[in-house]
Amino acid sequence: MSELLVVEDLQKYFPVTRGLVFQKAIAQVKAVDGVSFTVEAGQTLGVVGESGCGKSTMARCIARLLEPTGGKIIFDGRDITHLGNQDMRMIRREMMMVFQDPYASLNARKRVGAIIAEPLEVHDIGSAADRKRRVQELLEIVGLNPEHYNRFPHEFSGGQRQRIGIARALSINPKLIICDEPVSALDVSVQAQILNLLKDLQRDFDLTYVFIAHDLNVVRHVSDRVMVMYLGRPVETGSSKELYAAPKHPYSGALLSAVPIADPKLGRAREQIVLEGDVPSPINPPAACRFHPRCPRFVDGKCNVDEPVMTRAPGASDHEYACHFPLEHWPMGEGELRRAGAVAQEPAPAASFD
Amino acid sequence: MALLEVQDLHTRFRTEDGMVKAVSGVSFELDRGETLGVVGESGSGKSVTFLTVMGLVDPRQAEMAGSVRFDDKEILGLTTHGLKGIRGKRIGMIFQDPMTSLNPVKRIGWQLEEAVLIHNDVPRKEARRRALEVLEEVEIPKADTRMDDYAHQFSGGMRQRVMIAMALINQPELLIADEPTTALDVTTQAQILRLIGKLQKDHGMAVVMITHDLGVVAELANDVIVMYGGRIVEDAKVDDLFEKPEMPYTWGLLGSLPRVDVDVERLEQIPGQPPSLLRPPPGCAFNPRCAYVFDRCRTELPELRAAEGKDDHHFRCHLDGADRARIWTQKAAAIARGESAA
Repeated sequence: MSELLVVEDLQKYFPVTRGLVFQKAIAQVKAVDGVSFTVEAGQTLGVVGESGCGKSTMARCIARLLEPTGGKIIFDGRDITHLGNQDMRMIRREMMMVFQDPYASLNARKRVGAIIAEPLEVHDIGSAADRKRRVQELLEIVGLNPEHYNRFPHEFSGGQRQRIGIARALSINPKLIICDEPVSALDVSVQAQILNLLKDLQRDFDLTYVFIAHDLNVVRHVSDRVMVMYLGRPVETGSSKELYAAPKHPYSGALLSAVPIADPKLGRAREQIVLEGDVPSPINPPAACRFHPRCPRFVDGKCNVDEPVMTRAPGASDHEYACHFPLEHWPMGEGELRRAGAVAQEPAPAASFD
Repeated sequence: MALLEVQDLHTRFRTEDGMVKAVSGVSFELDRGETLGVVGESGSGKSVTFLTVMGLVDPRQAEMAGSVRFDDKEILGLTTHGLKGIRGKRIGMIFQDPMTSLNPVKRIGWQLEEAVLIHNDVPRKEARRRALEVLEEVEIPKADTRMDDYAHQFSGGMRQRVMIAMALINQPELLIADEPTTALDVTTQAQILRLIGKLQKDHGMAVVMITHDLGVVAELANDVIVMYGGRIVEDAKVDDLFEKPEMPYTWGLLGSLPRVDVDVERLEQIPGQPPSLLRPPPGCAFNPRCAYVFDRCRTELPELRAAEGKDDHHFRCHLDGADRARIWTQKAAAIARGESAA
């Protein structure tokens, strides 16, 4: 299988400036700091992490909406890291984005037909009549009524607007679609519709997705491979089957166990890692392993001194993690959480009323 | 005696296009120390129900009917003055978006003190002491210095803790939380849910948890109400609801959840959109989206009836018991295998 997107050691630093007239850079926010991965054609890479972990910045760098500070982005065999605007135009025909907020990402003053046709116009594809036909076809593909061509975005519900966003992304037959939290703003029942639609489209049009979300459930459902990010770096990557069955990095374990389970009995029975505090500032990230101040398996003298490198999990082909003391069992056994303060799980709150 | 007793509550908003029936005939009870989960999609009437309960719906824009009894006192239709000593004191509230619910130009400590001073005749110094105490209780690090910070200096999770602190500062008997974790990351959500559970245990509060996330309900609630189209379509003990839901909408909700514990190839989807409350469909409000619809559903609203052998489990559906049992058995098996039953 061929690799459609290869990212090597991608970095994006934002300067922190001081002074009104003479802006002096006094520090850097290392939003993305050394991310590498590959996405095979026709596959989906899920990217998960808390807010502030750099996942959206990474997506914007790949689409070259932001200039990367360092590293390499190879799309379809071509290095696009430093392409100029003219050359990038051609690449942008093959790479589209779907955004999180279906209310903010559609122009409220344009009709739906014009919104969906815009990429076609920008790239000067087809005559006006062709474009109209294509838009109606697209509306039908994403499950909307082609007669709604002349309506405005406010006449649609959240789920329908997200369908419009998807139709727009599909309009020029891209190879890669970067979905930045496409379903986080939607109700559960509508979320399922959109996730199923994305899967159907992938099958029908041979699409490749980079799918960004903070909800692990959603990512599992759509992804072939998953990358967990923390403070600008990947901490674990693997096929979604392996990563969900046996997460190695304590952060992945914490994310997984933080998701409420829609089954009261199962929920009460399980062990949970509840992380303390918030993601630290990326201006001054913790030394060595960036997760160590919040880690339940932190070992003093090792984790705060030695930076862990990506290590292959035993017996797995492409499951890698960056941790000195990976989780040994999943679901967690007793005593795997060494540090007393974070051993967090008393019985789940609801159990106390029985 | 239940702490909160709502009987046949109706809320209708006047709009240019006609009356929007946001809440139609909702009844439930909540005892002290219990947690009630209220589940539904946007537009199901779950938030409006509790805004009405708290007297936060403007009577100039809406018609309200029915009865809301809090600790055996009728509070529906009371003015701001009449609610003094109840709202903000005996009933605390947390809203979804902590940024828009905090005053951006006042220090956090000042806002907390205000909540004390409005309801208690104490000096500001005493109010400040209580504010600090409650900030420590919601586990805000360095609470004494953070008191002098503004809302924008806190992260989302910390802001939500401030909101919780503000709701708790007068030690309410009832806490109404409207989607308190929806805007937060999963890890922060887990922290906040654990905190609410702990505070509830410590203070013996009753809690209403309004959410669209069945997972949150499963973790926190004793009783669950499922709302659809402004009505209660199912209510039950939390274990019963997840074990044997009786209503096709609840089946759909359970089937449409992506899960961490099972591999799902294709999610079950509930087709279509939630109903318009301006012109709700005749009969059962769920009928246009229901896979098991038959003629009767399109004309006659199903009554809220008790499930076989259970007097604390009610639902609205015309399907007969044998059909429901058969369909759910198939669905439950499919969900457990990670397949879509649709």
